[in-house]
Amino acid sequence: MSAPLAAYEAIVNSSVVAQLRRLGKKLAGRRVVHVNSTREGGGVAEILEWMVPHMRDVGIDASWEVIHGTPRFFEITKGIHNGLQGKPVELLKKDWKIYQDVNEENAARLRPLLKEADVVIIHDPQPAYLLNLCPNRKGKWIWRGHIDISRPFRPVWKVLRTIVDKYDASIFSMAEFAQSLPHPQFLVPPSIDPLSEKNREMTPAELSRVRAESGLDPDRPLLVQISRFDRFKDPVGVIQAYRLVRKVAPVQLVLAGGGATDDPEGKAVFDEVMEAAEGDPDIHILLLPSGAHATINGLQRLSDIILQKSTREGFGLTVTEGLWKGKPVIGGDVGGIRLQVINHHTGFLVNTPEGAAHRIRYLLHHSERIKEMGESGREFVRENFLLTRHLREYLTLMLAIRSGREQRILLV
Amino acid sequence: MTRFEVMDCVLLIRMSGLSPAMNLRELRDRIATCSENVLYHHFCETTLRPTFDDPDYRNDFAVWAKFYLGDRVLAERLGILDPYSYERMEELRAVVLEVIDDRLGELTMVPWVRPGDEFLFKEATTVVFDTGDRIRHPRELAPALRRMTNGSIYYHFLEALRRPPIGKDDFSTWLLEAGKEYEPYLRSLGTIDYHFHSLALLRKELVRALTQMEDAR
Repeated sequence: MSAPLAAYEAIVNSSVVAQLRRLGKKLAGRRVVHVNSTREGGGVAEILEWMVPHMRDVGIDASWEVIHGTPRFFEITKGIHNGLQGKPVELLKKDWKIYQDVNEENAARLRPLLKEADVVIIHDPQPAYLLNLCPNRKGKWIWRGHIDISRPFRPVWKVLRTIVDKYDASIFSMAEFAQSLPHPQFLVPPSIDPLSEKNREMTPAELSRVRAESGLDPDRPLLVQISRFDRFKDPVGVIQAYRLVRKVAPVQLVLAGGGATDDPEGKAVFDEVMEAAEGDPDIHILLLPSGAHATINGLQRLSDIILQKSTREGFGLTVTEGLWKGKPVIGGDVGGIRLQVINHHTGFLVNTPEGAAHRIRYLLHHSERIKEMGESGREFVRENFLLTRHLREYLTLMLAIRSGREQRILLV
Repeated sequence: MTRFEVMDCVLLIRMSGLSPAMNLRELRDRIATCSENVLYHHFCETTLRPTFDDPDYRNDFAVWAKFYLGDRVLAERLGILDPYSYERMEELRAVVLEVIDDRLGELTMVPWVRPGDEFLFKEATTVVFDTGDRIRHPRELAPALRRMTNGSIYYHFLEALRRPPIGKDDFSTWLLEAGKEYEPYLRSLGTIDYHFHSLALLRKELVRALTQMEDAR
């Protein structure tokens, strides 16, 4: 459950919240329906959990609908998801038929609501086909692609494209993730909720508990990387960097992530990481359950330096979270990390374990820089990557799409 | 004098539909044909979108030249261009093309970027709305500025430079109405070098300039 909008005035300037209310007033009473495929778990549900109540808070008649499907439907949509991210997958005609049939079943239930809505925002591919099943719709339909479809597996994209190109507009997180479509493609980066369990302030007692539970030494510098056990996150490269630093400084390393054991590749990567760690007592490899938000928050706050040494990355919200906790981030020179890690200002971009080790050593020798960069990073996130900015762009987008014009200046 | 109507604005960014540029020649050709909105976005709207406050350069072309093409000479030449010193975007376009053409003439090979580092052309709509706030007297301007959003600062100080009267920010235009006694205020605002300022810093500078004048009265 997210905090009321007024609670964010303590974090962002009150004029920012006032601005949201003013924009909301111009959309008062408009019916906006978000549709996705799950109410719990995953980034999209996390966003809708705060966005829908906040839209209501500013006067919009917002609601959130979830489509239901069979296990086979979700296997197929997982395949679509992987295909859009570039993984070769085999989807047969009968699979696409199941995809359409499940959307049809959901359309039978949702059609009256969707046809009357002023704006319908469909999140990701699972419910995308609903548009085809709602002729004579009254409002504008927007497809929100949360994933990186810059280099899709073409056979999957070819089919999905015929579905999403009928929308009035689409939204992507970054220009790098977008595909060419015959309608406006808006760019809205994701955000974090500073009052959520993963990002809220923590008491010294809570931090001590996380430190004790994780077996960390309070007197030695701590490096932390939070991410899935995935090769693209380069956890083995992080261990190599740690070893290069360990020769000259008594650092500790935490590699923490979740969801590895039920994923064959994740399990293999986890095993590789365990092997690379060679039982070093100062390397703490933590397999966290999906709801361990407070532990993640605590580990990030206890760290001296946050690492995100990915070799391929989406937006990289763990970087945003780390910066918000006032820590410098040493990140891979890829994807959305580039938007957030500014060399010498909020952290360092690196390409190799050696590069990461070099920057870790630099920061350990310049503790004042850790503090300066941390402060700079926190302000950077406050200005750009909190949910208030995210909500503002959605409200603006709805105003723009209502006008139907694409001029440079739009007076509303 | 008339009351100053405080407006606010939010930037809504979208893809321009132009193909990405993989090398300096492609960048040049896209700049030659892109719409003025695209040029305006990459030169003027960078302060209002999610971006770090203290970049090396304020325009995206200079940043790309430095970080991805690895051409620091070109970056420096593009980075110093002040888009607000040109009355029309077409004049700015001509200067940018000349800088790039000169550089292409100096190089023995056209510089390329690696896949993933292409220049992606964007444009934006500035959605403007009335805040309902009004400023009645010049002495109320500094306190009002402190409360303004970044959007208001951008709209009244930077975006205004491209609206008639061209080259004048809204605060100065309004202060002109206040008569001779406020001319020092105008001069003070005119000394602000906004080229390197984030909007937050620009707000501070505006408040400082106006407060100094008020204190001196």
